[in-house]
Amino acid sequence: MKKSLPPNASGGKSSALHNFGVYVRQHWQLYVIFMLPAFALTIIFRYIPMGGILMAFTEYNPIRGILGSEWVGFEHFQRFLSSPDFMTYLMNTLKLSIFGLLWGFPAPILLAFLLNRIMSKKTKQRIQLILYMPNFISVIVLCGIVRILLSPTGMLNSLLGTNTNFMTMPSAFRTIYIASGIWQGAGWASIIYTAALSNASKELTEAAVIDGANIFQQIKAVEWPAIKDTVLIQFIMSVGNIMSVGFEKAYALQTDMNLATSEIISTYVYKKGLLEGDYGFSTAVGLFNTVINVVLLISMNQIVKKMNEGKGI
Amino acid sequence: MAEVQLKNIKKVYPFISGEDKKKSRKKADEPEKKKANLQITDEGVVAVQAFNLDIKDKEFIVLVGPSGCGKSTTLRMVAGLEEISDGELIIDGKVMNDVAPKDRDIAMVFQNYALYPHMTVYENMAFSLKLRKVPKDEIDRKVREAAEILDITQYLDRKPKALSGGQRQRVAIGRAIVRAPKVMLMDEPLSNLDAKLRNEMRAEIIKLRHRINTTFMYVTHDQTEAMTLGDRIVIMRDGYIQQIGTPQEVFNHPSNLFVAGFIGMPVMNFFDGKLTREGDKFFVEVGGYKVELAKEKEERLLKNNVQSQPVTLGVRPEHTDVGETGIAGKVDVAEMMGSSVHLHISAEGRDVIIIVPTIDMKKNYALGDPIHFTFGGNVAHVFSKETDKNLEF
Repeated sequence: MKKSLPPNASGGKSSALHNFGVYVRQHWQLYVIFMLPAFALTIIFRYIPMGGILMAFTEYNPIRGILGSEWVGFEHFQRFLSSPDFMTYLMNTLKLSIFGLLWGFPAPILLAFLLNRIMSKKTKQRIQLILYMPNFISVIVLCGIVRILLSPTGMLNSLLGTNTNFMTMPSAFRTIYIASGIWQGAGWASIIYTAALSNASKELTEAAVIDGANIFQQIKAVEWPAIKDTVLIQFIMSVGNIMSVGFEKAYALQTDMNLATSEIISTYVYKKGLLEGDYGFSTAVGLFNTVINVVLLISMNQIVKKMNEGKGI
Repeated sequence: MAEVQLKNIKKVYPFISGEDKKKSRKKADEPEKKKANLQITDEGVVAVQAFNLDIKDKEFIVLVGPSGCGKSTTLRMVAGLEEISDGELIIDGKVMNDVAPKDRDIAMVFQNYALYPHMTVYENMAFSLKLRKVPKDEIDRKVREAAEILDITQYLDRKPKALSGGQRQRVAIGRAIVRAPKVMLMDEPLSNLDAKLRNEMRAEIIKLRHRINTTFMYVTHDQTEAMTLGDRIVIMRDGYIQQIGTPQEVFNHPSNLFVAGFIGMPVMNFFDGKLTREGDKFFVEVGGYKVELAKEKEERLLKNNVQSQPVTLGVRPEHTDVGETGIAGKVDVAEMMGSSVHLHISAEGRDVIIIVPTIDMKKNYALGDPIHFTFGGNVAHVFSKETDKNLEF
């Protein structure tokens, strides 16, 4: 009878790889059963739609279809890049993303550090429940809540004793967008860090306490190293999505008065593509957005790898 | 270097809210519950109680006992990692109950090494000194000195993951000794090592102890470690101290049945016997074999005014002799250990082990062979049937 080897049988990297190969060959049916649905779904929903990218190079006509439409090459890209609004939209998108990343990315990490300090399991669970709840509110409902809270007769104005319409202030848009995002997502995003922190050795923390480390030194010496790799991967992923600012929230918080800061590439794509029916142009803008994301993802991964002993994605 | 005094130390883990509610539902006449043999009171689970110990300056004290007996909790209370529920901890004449761990001038070696994985060996050893803002050149001198003592100088630039278990434990010890603490605490530091490495490291700790000359508190569940390392041993069970004494004392004069069974390998043989007092003389009798106890034992029994009674008789396997007469039994297994043979015997309804030196073996024993054995009056221990206490105490 053939004896199968576990995939991680020891004996160096190459022999482990060889053993894994043997293991896969012996149990290929199992792998087919598990992998086929995922593979099929990826092909159908991720790769086949990529054909739609061709729309960016055509004057798309829904009646003629993608292949029957007139081929215009890079005309849409030239039109977008030379448009007077291009820089405004690009800068609005980048600013919203970068500021969102700067403020929003550390928030769940800090939250995880704080949660990790709560000794009572019950209290911790209750706080976590409260923190996770906003994540389940739909973006549109959230925007509704924000609009009500910030309206001239809303709670914030009542507290401040003013009647400012914050939603009409271009200078307030980014703050509103980012702060509400942190409120909604930080708790949920902290799960991954809380889980990673649970791997931080309790003994190591105790050793640090005996060594004389204060809370910040304990975090630096014990807790941060435990979540560092997770943070880096999350950071690379976030940077890779820097241009993918979701259109729904920006659109829902948009007013005619705050367009100077709230009009971003994705809202522009929506307006051009779906409202004005300029499908080819809006696909080109969307593709431009994606290409920048891919370039950023790859570059950031390389930078992080160099800084972090070859560890990255 | 410092004296350490633990005065009537008690540790109670309070109930968490759910348990508290359950506890409050307990009927008044319901007997007190026990959790893993630990006492449960209205306050919570009592992990350690009535712990009194005076540790002399530069003494090596070993806390030993089975899992859950409270030995690690006691050590952690000394370290400041656990709050002391009641009693007083005095280090070098100062009450330390409410002093932060970093200010107690103690160092601790953990079972799982507790080395910072992202730091090199050097950085690990220098960490506590760095936090105390010790000048760099002094840190360097102390780290290299400790590394020299522990023979880890060649690994100073490595990270812990590049070291073997034994080397990691040396680094953990090195990290503790660079601080020249008043009290060195060790929580089962050798448990994660294989048997061979454990023996080597045990010898290293004995040597180290003489070099760094400080007060040691060492926790282990391994009685061999306790016997070989400790100046005195504290044997614990269910949160209580069972006996404090030198290795020789606890081996030769166990205070109760638990200590007698816990210390010594193979474990002491126990029989249902009878203690008979005839004037000033005491005899023990088991399976038709009767022997007079040694003079010193008789004196102690006399002092305690012990009368004739049924007793649990304890005799160590190495103190039992195979002979033509004596207690009869049947051989179950004969284990050849090299220098000796361990004979497992069924006698008097009990499993009995006898150690016979190989050179004294007159024949090879097989399963079911009849055998007789005896013991001297100087090696028999008599324990009360009611209290399990050694009647000599």
